[in-house]
Amino acid sequence: MLEQALPIDNLVACHSCDLLHEKTALGEGEKAWCSRCGSLLYRTNDNTIEISLALTIASLLLFLFAQLLPFLSIDVDGNKTTIYLVSTIDTLSQLDNLLLSISGALFLVIIPFGVLLLDLLLLSALYGNKRPLTLFARQLLLLIGRLAPWNMLEIFLLGVLVTIVKLASIAEITLHQGFWAFVALVVINLFVSTTLEPEELWQAIDRH
Amino acid sequence: MAGHRQALTAMQAGLASCHVCGKLQSCKADRNCVRCGSRLYQRKPFSVQRSWAFLITALILYVPANLYPIMNTTSLGIMDEKTIVGGVILLWSMKSYPVAVIIFTASIVIPLLKFLVIGLLLLSIWKGHTGKLNQQTRLFRVIEYIGPWSMIDVFVVILLVALIQFGGIATVLPGSAAMAFAGMVITTMLSAISFDTRLLWDNE
Repeated sequence: MLEQALPIDNLVACHSCDLLHEKTALGEGEKAWCSRCGSLLYRTNDNTIEISLALTIASLLLFLFAQLLPFLSIDVDGNKTTIYLVSTIDTLSQLDNLLLSISGALFLVIIPFGVLLLDLLLLSALYGNKRPLTLFARQLLLLIGRLAPWNMLEIFLLGVLVTIVKLASIAEITLHQGFWAFVALVVINLFVSTTLEPEELWQAIDRH
Repeated sequence: MAGHRQALTAMQAGLASCHVCGKLQSCKADRNCVRCGSRLYQRKPFSVQRSWAFLITALILYVPANLYPIMNTTSLGIMDEKTIVGGVILLWSMKSYPVAVIIFTASIVIPLLKFLVIGLLLLSIWKGHTGKLNQQTRLFRVIEYIGPWSMIDVFVVILLVALIQFGGIATVLPGSAAMAFAGMVITTMLSAISFDTRLLWDNE
């Protein structure tokens, strides 16, 4: 059999075109690309878990600030109303458009917050070397991978900006701390998604 | 670049990298991944069929998404829009150019690009085209990345409805196009998730 002759542990298959490559050692921050289709094969990052854990904790705090601190004020002819992000879901749930309320709750709160919580659990388990959590860690990482494509925080931020521009035409808008916490959250979240490599987490789980 | 030995794919070597965790392993029938326990496949199962099915569903949803009103408002000037296209035209006429461009790109250009690119790539797999596979793969990665950005308009509707309702400024209700549009974005994303770029290269 051909497969017996191949040193599987030293090989990597491109996820875009399936071509096998022999792994070569990379220096810090270097990346390996597929020689046929040019897709990313793998990369190295030191201290990924430590950095990601720190960023995840920061993101969770910012998420809470964004939801619970005043987000923006609308002023129409001297009638000022301060709005909290968390209360938008409440308003939506009062509409009789169930599908829109559910997708609002999912994309705005449940998925982003869920992913952050799962990240926190997984990373703190790996960071703290908690043995009983190893089996649990596989399930966590599988769930994170499934949710990842549906985490649309940065798209939501652009939606917030468009909404503000539209609202500004009929009312005076003042931005508050909640809004700025949200902007910071999106920036940090982009950092997490570039440092956190699932392959590295799987290898970390395997080592435990 | 990592060295590659005599241009052998994992499938030709009887190997498979797990679709969920990426672990490379020998692939025998009816096996689960040794690392994450997911079902092991060399190619995504029914990739072409699923991708077509979601794409056609999205195409059908695209019709009501553009014909019906996305929001129902009492007269609110810039927000007095009927359809998505009507909203873009209204924004443009009110000199809100950057926002008009953002909404036009996210709501009209990106969905059409996705239909076109995924449809063409599926045809390319079917016909066994092997030209410019690098570009085809890269095109798919771009489409996969920009796809979710179409959700902007849905988020804007959700936020406007919630904020205006909450602020007591006026009555704004989501229109029937909002759900059709959200469904369209979600099904095009599912179509992209089901698509397996390896199938393009298998014809080589």
